[in-house]
Amino acid sequence: MIPADSMIIEPPALLNLLAWLSPAFPTGAYAYSHGLEWAVEAGDVRDGASLEAWLTAVLDQGSARGDAILLRAAHREGKNPARLAELAELAAALAPASERRGETLAQGAAFAAAAAPWGGSAPVALPVSLGVLATRHGIPEDAATLAYLQAFIANLISAAVRLVPLGQSTGQAVLAALGPAILATAGATESAGLDDLGSSCLRADIAAMRHETQYTRLFRS
Amino acid sequence: MSAAAFRYEPAATPLLRRERAEGVLRLGLRARGGASVLGTLYQQGCLKARFPKPVDPAWLEAVLLNVSGGVAGGDDLASRITLAAGARAIIASPAAERFYRALSLGGPARLTLAIDLAPGARLEWLPQESILFDGCAFIRRSEIALAGDARFLGVETLVFGRAAMGERLARGSIRDTIRLSRDGRLQLHEATRLEGAIDALLTRPATAAGAGATALMIYAAPDARSRLAGLRVALDGAEAGASLVLPDLLLARVLAPTAEALRGVVTAGLRALRDGRMLPRVWQC
Repeated sequence: MIPADSMIIEPPALLNLLAWLSPAFPTGAYAYSHGLEWAVEAGDVRDGASLEAWLTAVLDQGSARGDAILLRAAHREGKNPARLAELAELAAALAPASERRGETLAQGAAFAAAAAPWGGSAPVALPVSLGVLATRHGIPEDAATLAYLQAFIANLISAAVRLVPLGQSTGQAVLAALGPAILATAGATESAGLDDLGSSCLRADIAAMRHETQYTRLFRS
Repeated sequence: MSAAAFRYEPAATPLLRRERAEGVLRLGLRARGGASVLGTLYQQGCLKARFPKPVDPAWLEAVLLNVSGGVAGGDDLASRITLAAGARAIIASPAAERFYRALSLGGPARLTLAIDLAPGARLEWLPQESILFDGCAFIRRSEIALAGDARFLGVETLVFGRAAMGERLARGSIRDTIRLSRDGRLQLHEATRLEGAIDALLTRPATAAGAGATALMIYAAPDARSRLAGLRVALDGAEAGASLVLPDLLLARVLAPTAEALRGVVTAGLRALRDGRMLPRVWQC
């Protein structure tokens, strides 16, 4: 669990964090499904319960957990240009498929550009870019991690609502149900380092690969 | 967990091996005329290399073996394979590697593999399966460094317990990382992490949906792009995907209910990536 005092955040910092992780912040997140479009096509995600199960694994075993570890590392070391370059390279190299690589790099570049009024950030993989900006603006690491995971999951739920399709109320019910899993992943990555990176979401990786040849597609990943 | 808790392990079972194994293997290969030949060989402890007569002298064939009879907790195995400019090699293993229950006293087994390929070198890294037994714990790190236009083809297969023998991989701790760089630039950091109640974990739809085995295929070469379509055809119908992650890096992930089914799919994939050249004898079955 994340201790409550590590979440203490100054009002201006909270305001910035809300702005950067709002769906209105122009990172293009709405165009990426992280392979969910294939998972829906294949029948793995077909209703609220199966969506919740899929995203729980992404959170506690997969890429959301990996992103949280990368964000935390960028928050701690992003002020060191050499370490930042290594982290950026690592974050890109973790992508198991071409579209997943594009997803994190294109969003990271868009995020860095959109952050120009806040001094801009590094045009690298999204969690690294956010970690760098957050540390510069005095946003606590735990708060940035939790907000990132929430936005990541909310974006994928929004994709699933369009793809399955699901009712908006079902989508929000899944988001509410995933609250404990989001908190758990934020907490579990608190003491994790880069050696703890690693996933067991093999079918989520295959879904991202299969999406590349999916016949009809709404999403870029 | 305390040391005392392990005093009651069923010590008679052959799955437990109490002494630690250590092994170091260094293999250096070079091109001479139209052939690939052994330059240096250093072997210490339980790691050995054998050199079957190659089918094609341009490709040196090596078979690496761990004579300790399997990997257990605390084992320390380190291999380094270096191919000088223009050398070509196919490296396999004579049998599946078994990862046995680790005693907590020994900690996880540590395995490192370093592969260095000079420009023009080609390596096919085709070990057989890693079979994971209940309670296994290991940290395996493979670092593949390519220079210039070197080419690397690799397969890594994990078998989640021997289902046909009625065995389950109930628990374990597995960190299996493969890093590949070209000219010093990291291109791939593939990390498989299986912690805790692994068989429950692997039933989830986003993980393995109960599959019994998985393989990762890596093809890093200047012509990777032209291989994607053929590889996809070869994997068609299987639970698998392929992606050109970078213009010179192709990945495929395969899942199958059993090790045998997986081997059929991987063999088809290898044929697509090897222009139908004969696979090492150990792969022919």
